[in-house]
Amino acid sequence: MAETLTTKRANETLATDRAKRRWSWALIRNQWQLIMMSVPLLIYIVVFAYVPVWGWLTAFQDYRPAKKFADQTWVGFKHFKFLFSDDHFLQVLRNTVGMSLINLVLGFVTSIVLALLLNEVKNMLFKRTVQTISYLPHFLSWVIAAGIVATSLSINDGIVNIVLMKLHIIDEPIVWLSEGKYFWGIVGASNVWKEIGWNTIIYLAAMASVDPSLYEAAEMDGANRYRKMLHITLPGIKPTFVILLIISIGHILDAGFEVQYLLGNGLVVDWSETIDIFVLKYGIAQGNYSLATAGGMFKTIVSVTLLLFANWVSKRLGEERLL
Amino acid sequence: MKNRKQFVVLNSLVLMLAAGSVLAGCSKSPAEPASSAAATQGAAATDAATNKVEPFNVSVYIGDAGFQQPAPDNKIYKLMKDKLGVTFQFDFLAGDSNQKAGVMIAGGDYPDIMTANTKFTDAGAYIPLEDLIEKNAPNLKKHYEAVWNQMKDPKDGHIYILPNYGVYTGELHATYYSGPAFWIQKAVLKEAGYPKIKTLDEYFALIKNYKEKHPEIDGKPTIGFDILNYDWRNWGLLNPPQHLMGHPNDGGVVVENNVASIFADKDPAKQYYKKLNEINNQGLLDKESFVQNFDQYMAKISSGSVLGMFDQHWSFQAAEDALTTQDKNDRTYVGLPLMFNASDKDYYRDLPPLNLNNGFGISVNAKDPVRILKMLDALMSEEWQKTLTWGIQGEDYQVNDKGMFSRTEQQRKNATDATWKLSNTAEAFYKFAPKWEGSFPDGNATAPNDQPDEYYAGQKAIDKELLDAYGYKTYIDFFSKPPANPVYYPAWSITLEDGSPAKIANTKLNELGTKYLPKAILSTPDQFDNVWNEYTGQIKKVDVKAYEDRINEQIQWRIKNWSTK
Repeated sequence: MAETLTTKRANETLATDRAKRRWSWALIRNQWQLIMMSVPLLIYIVVFAYVPVWGWLTAFQDYRPAKKFADQTWVGFKHFKFLFSDDHFLQVLRNTVGMSLINLVLGFVTSIVLALLLNEVKNMLFKRTVQTISYLPHFLSWVIAAGIVATSLSINDGIVNIVLMKLHIIDEPIVWLSEGKYFWGIVGASNVWKEIGWNTIIYLAAMASVDPSLYEAAEMDGANRYRKMLHITLPGIKPTFVILLIISIGHILDAGFEVQYLLGNGLVVDWSETIDIFVLKYGIAQGNYSLATAGGMFKTIVSVTLLLFANWVSKRLGEERLL
Repeated sequence: MKNRKQFVVLNSLVLMLAAGSVLAGCSKSPAEPASSAAATQGAAATDAATNKVEPFNVSVYIGDAGFQQPAPDNKIYKLMKDKLGVTFQFDFLAGDSNQKAGVMIAGGDYPDIMTANTKFTDAGAYIPLEDLIEKNAPNLKKHYEAVWNQMKDPKDGHIYILPNYGVYTGELHATYYSGPAFWIQKAVLKEAGYPKIKTLDEYFALIKNYKEKHPEIDGKPTIGFDILNYDWRNWGLLNPPQHLMGHPNDGGVVVENNVASIFADKDPAKQYYKKLNEINNQGLLDKESFVQNFDQYMAKISSGSVLGMFDQHWSFQAAEDALTTQDKNDRTYVGLPLMFNASDKDYYRDLPPLNLNNGFGISVNAKDPVRILKMLDALMSEEWQKTLTWGIQGEDYQVNDKGMFSRTEQQRKNATDATWKLSNTAEAFYKFAPKWEGSFPDGNATAPNDQPDEYYAGQKAIDKELLDAYGYKTYIDFFSKPPANPVYYPAWSITLEDGSPAKIANTKLNELGTKYLPKAILSTPDQFDNVWNEYTGQIKKVDVKAYEDRINEQIQWRIKNWSTK
């Protein structure tokens, strides 16, 4: 709860202050403690986020690890051309965006719904139990999580096939991981299973910060539970939702790597390969670091562009902004 | 206003915490390597001065996933520490070997010695060894004398890797077949009355009959035939056609009259995969063949429910060991050299060539390569070799009055027990280290399993029965005696340079096989031809010529440079 309120307030103060204040020595002297304290973080960001950008230069070379920088061959846009002219790459891009959108929509809808439901639960013990169980998978690494998913989907005693057979939905076990058309769904469902509990935490916090007097007023006006959810709880968490959405849109090319890599196989490769796997296969695994860098660069540029775009749209609509 | 103040206070707290953790992180990491480097240097210095056994650490990267960390009190490693001062720190591969290598190269993060990987060689991660060996390692020099030229890197003429297999001393006793074959459970042969199986059709008919009679084995559904196609272990899917045609294992190509060409899209391949399509439609193929990983595959074999598969023996040996541990000896396997035509001569078994892309190399990060090399050299003595293979006299083997080594039933059992091996053998190290193969001067074989008497004594009842029924002495007799190797053999050990068109073509061929062959095998019989045509159509788009040219160029190079020995 503190988070949304403080960000909101910080945004407001920043917006009003921005017009009035200019940088001045007086201001700096006034806040030197704050500035000093932010220096280590600045250094951290410069060292780990900006210095490595230097490495982008390798995307324009035929980089060989053992050679010195000056001895590398410069090749211009060769690697970008290889990337965009490979018909495989379009397919990979489609998979990435497709799985990402599924994850985005499913992730938001399921976690908001779960948060809404949990928010209405009055029995604290039950609520805590549900929360704990639902966020436990978040702490598993994908290697383990993918193992669990693969075992559940197996035709030898996999729980998914057993349940579906018992319910007479299917007549014989399905080898789920051998069909391309199921793959995106499997990835989406695995993501929901793994992350739903974790994602609800922030919404529950936002819901807790809604002013109780609003609910009381609504009750006076005769609003029932559903009305209150619709007109008070949901608008109450909107700022949180918008901020998270903008951040997620920036990550649309990060459909994930582990889950597709670990669950994918030759039969579903047309549906399972994401940009990250493509870059690994044709870049790092081939010793072609330049191609890998070009792929990474492409992702970063698209991400930043999308982020700025989403932020701009949000601003035009009069909603929360990230920047 | 009050709120504002709270906000500032809160923020500063957060900043302080963050700053604290960053600073702590910074101060810690650089200090560590510096101190450890100083320590090792100090150790090396005192060693030179006093000439005593000073302890030193050697970090080892094993680029093979089939191992576990040895037990801390492992007796062989302890002996090495006492006598040679060496302590190994193993880093075993988890996951994909090429990926791990790529990450290590990108970071320049190498341990002291690493198993061979062409990526490391290309990245200049190994130090040249030829001069160091000449100066410091007389045993190694003597050992590798005959194959010295072959060990040289084709590109720059340096020796980077000490091959672990393929150098023979004394008489070679082969009793164990480790190569590729169509494997079949002993129980299946037994039930059919030990028939001679020579062709694919006979093989699958045998499996079909058995599966119909025994739909379950130990409560698990019987799996007729299994194929592993996971990561780099893809030969189960890709390699069989060349063997069925009567060629030895040359990787992705068959070589005729010193000219290599791919076989993936040729008719014999089609014939084989069509057969697989047929058996899949009869329900004989494991439905999960193409989605399983190596662990799942090994688990199935270990359960004893898989009747047959195409694989290399060494690859699934661990699963067979597990069967032996469970006393399911009739579920272990016999390798059969199947052919398309029963009349053709099989060429599955080959004379093991020098294993060029395998064994240890010393990395550029090693602080004292000479010391490491001297340690490896010391291990090449007869005494150490006996310790590494047979173990400790009295504990792991006995010597009779004629000087011949033998083991008791219990000692033999120990040697196949994975847990026992972790505390009593230096298996992980020895497998990749330079070694004697053949026999010692006193007539004992260099490996217990190759000792003929030892081999016969170690056979289980079912093995004796089976071998007697076929009139063979060992399982290797199922295979024809191999002719002498062509000079260039094997073509699979030819390196494709990173990023070269040949390598990209090879990757694409592998990828197409992984994608289309399962599709073709799993399709309905009338769809098979369509998928097959799509597959060959895709292969035509790949720069196959670049791949074949590179192999042919290297075959010629080998003929030229290796012939004069």
